[in-house]
Amino acid sequence: MSAPTVELNPSNRLRNLLRDPLLLVSLIILWSLLILFILLPLIRLFIRTFEEGGHFTLSNILAILGDPNQRQALWNSLLLGCLVGLCGTALGFLFAFTAVRTNLSKAWTFFLDVSIILPLISPPFTTAIAMIFSFGPRGLITYDLLGIKNFTAYGLHSTLFSETITYFPIAYLTLKAIIAGIDPNIEDMAFSLGSSRWRVFRTVTLPLTVPGLANSILLLFAASLADFATPLILAGNSFPVLPTQAYLQITGLFDIKGGAVLSFILLVPAFLVFFLQRFWVSRKYYVTISGKVGAKTQVKSVPSWTKYFLLGLCLFISAFILYFYVLLFYASIVQAFGANFQLTWKHYRVVFTEGLKAIRDTLIIAGAGMPLGGIYSVILGYLVCKKVFFSRQAMEIVSMINYALPGTIVGIAYLLFFNEPPILLTGTAIIIIACYVFRYGPTGIRTTVAILQQIDPSIEEASFSLGAGSATTFSRITLPLILPAFFAGLGVVFIRSMTAISATIFLISINWTLITVRILEKMTELELGVAAAFSILVVFIVFIVITAISLFLRLFRQPGAPEMASILGG
Amino acid sequence: MRIKRMLIFIAISLLAILSLTSVVFSAEALNAYSIWPENWARPMFEEFEKATGIHVNFLRFSSGEALARVIAEKNNPRVDVLFGGPVETHIAGIKEGIFEPYKPPTFGVLAPRFRDPEGYWIGIADDPLVFMSNNKFLKEKNLPPPTSWSDLLNSAYKGMIQMADARTSGTAVTRIFSIIEVFGRDENKAFDYMKKLRQNVQVYTKSGGGGTIPIGLGQAGAGIFFIVDALKTKQEGYDVVISFPKEGIGTSVEAIALLKGAKNPALGKKLIDWSTGPAMQNLYAKYKINFVPAHSEVKTEPSLAEVLKGAKVFPIDEAWAGQNRKRVVERWINEVLP
Repeated sequence: MSAPTVELNPSNRLRNLLRDPLLLVSLIILWSLLILFILLPLIRLFIRTFEEGGHFTLSNILAILGDPNQRQALWNSLLLGCLVGLCGTALGFLFAFTAVRTNLSKAWTFFLDVSIILPLISPPFTTAIAMIFSFGPRGLITYDLLGIKNFTAYGLHSTLFSETITYFPIAYLTLKAIIAGIDPNIEDMAFSLGSSRWRVFRTVTLPLTVPGLANSILLLFAASLADFATPLILAGNSFPVLPTQAYLQITGLFDIKGGAVLSFILLVPAFLVFFLQRFWVSRKYYVTISGKVGAKTQVKSVPSWTKYFLLGLCLFISAFILYFYVLLFYASIVQAFGANFQLTWKHYRVVFTEGLKAIRDTLIIAGAGMPLGGIYSVILGYLVCKKVFFSRQAMEIVSMINYALPGTIVGIAYLLFFNEPPILLTGTAIIIIACYVFRYGPTGIRTTVAILQQIDPSIEEASFSLGAGSATTFSRITLPLILPAFFAGLGVVFIRSMTAISATIFLISINWTLITVRILEKMTELELGVAAAFSILVVFIVFIVITAISLFLRLFRQPGAPEMASILGG
Repeated sequence: MRIKRMLIFIAISLLAILSLTSVVFSAEALNAYSIWPENWARPMFEEFEKATGIHVNFLRFSSGEALARVIAEKNNPRVDVLFGGPVETHIAGIKEGIFEPYKPPTFGVLAPRFRDPEGYWIGIADDPLVFMSNNKFLKEKNLPPPTSWSDLLNSAYKGMIQMADARTSGTAVTRIFSIIEVFGRDENKAFDYMKKLRQNVQVYTKSGGGGTIPIGLGQAGAGIFFIVDALKTKQEGYDVVISFPKEGIGTSVEAIALLKGAKNPALGKKLIDWSTGPAMQNLYAKYKINFVPAHSEVKTEPSLAEVLKGAKVFPIDEAWAGQNRKRVVERWINEVLP
């Protein structure tokens, strides 16, 4: 068996595949799943998009590109996606760097982790609702605190702010794992060669995080492109964005075709960024887990004034996030927010009577999706990163599709495809679980890839040359090193099962419903107290589970793997 | 070995989760999508179960979403009945071929505007639009509650009006047809008015009642809503005032319909029989649901009647609205929204 990094020509690759039956079987299973749950529903949707009376036509796409309003929406989406990608990554880097590289005490780290985790473990529109209360002509912050009367709560500024707060934890999770994986000894070497701290940061630490930064920008850009709920509430009418337009087209105008066309246009920038990132990152090569034993040293890359400056910045932002959630909690325990501030448990009573079915269903779905998502993302991430086989690139690209697509479209595609024979899945829990696994697996896949890129191939080569097979090498060498990625994939699928809405709003059924859909419904029904109580419950459950996973992993932690807390922050 | 232990743990927890997924089915049950909010639909369905022993499994959606869902599931309907929602939703559905006509015993008794001639939908309530304003805002600006459509054009309302977006909300569609009716079906004049009104609009909300809480909080000054949403806001304790324009304002029928290919058509018909008659509509008052009953034998709740007293409310011509809905909404999107 040759070392996996050696480039092989296609016929050799095929021969290689036949020599490794485990690889072949995994590939067949993975490809069947990818085709069934990603490609076929999309093809079904595209047939509806490009077919007009039995003929192929481009007129639908051209009509949209010719409409100045839709062009504006496209431009707005790209602008918002880029800004969220940049701001969120910057914020994520600030937090990750502060948490890993400034020797914070346990208490501070815990405080930062808690405030970062909050947006990640709550439905995306909860911050949007808190923003409506806080900003605006009579907002708690703009009017009651600052006395500004004519502040508008709707537009680019508030959408950007809310999406950045909501999605920067993804950047934080990606970057914290990467930064924690950089051996401080490498920085030490630079110090001992006489570099200044700034120079070490600029020429050693920062370049080593480039794959992480690229991943993070990609993930945030995609997340923003896919988010319809935040702009739906905050963008107002002067800043239309495509995902929201597509959602409204489908849900409001019953125009699945129009919505599909709008989202098809969104696919183009999503894939463009994806290929740019691959081209950029694949040319850089990083190894910091060298397998050679070096004494652990104290991190000394940050002077104390910088430490307090960074910490101060983080605390300011954390305080802001905590304020949002205190507001949310308060709304859940008063009779009617803004009118009747009498304390009451009645909203929670509703949650635990009427809402009980939704809670049970959601927990079952999230619980089943969690291990599946973790296994799926680690295996796929490992294969595309470490193995050379026919269709490797295609597999990586296909696995990203459902993440890059606006959730509404994934939902509608699933609904169209799985509502008819041969594969009848609507109304079951499987369709919702599959949707979550294939839509949120890519976060775990990217984490797996990012971590694997830091593992020196010589460790695996050593295993191969000692006669171990593919399976043994994977389970004895690679798996322990990528365990944190497994738990990142698992954690993200669980969190999203509890909090995401855009795709699954179309997949819930009489038999299986979800808490997030109930929250959005309660909001449109103007039961804000109940919606807030549900949100608090979600935050609570996810927090408990994440903490449990974190403790559990600590029990099984292999030496050499990065700290679990650096992935899930608990 | 640790890894093995962990894999075993995962396998066990997977099995435990899967074993939990068995669902218990009750004997006689029908399925419905409700466009009425859960806190109104639930007591109705519980009363229905008390009266007939038939359980109703239901999910709540706003009108646009419910319709999109029913259309998408057309070849394999998951529910038997579409319950509630402004009738323009149901009319839009007839063309899609998603409904099964059914004439309940009350069919002959109902006024013609509360029933589809073929029985594709039947009215269960009437829901007029109203103006709702924040009292503090009015006092601050020294304004009386608006009593004319032109009052809302006053520059004092600039950036302070919230109302629903016609792309998602049945409330908005009813509002637009009201305005067209007020201008004697002169669409150009009506759209000129809406474009002027646009200058004062802070945001168009996704759901019909989306603006009621912002107005209650004072984040916005005034808006146009269905009376059920406006009265609910007032009952919660928000300082708002309800008024009607002297030129008149529209009212929309709330309807129920049986789905084509329903798995439990007989039970669905029983729910339609029950909800189109006094049996259900007498319960509106008990559960503080501020709809006007559709059945002529059911009395309107006194305090609701008091609010409506003297108000000039006219029914929307549903047949005309149904024919022109798509065109008018598209014109609104292109001319008023940007």
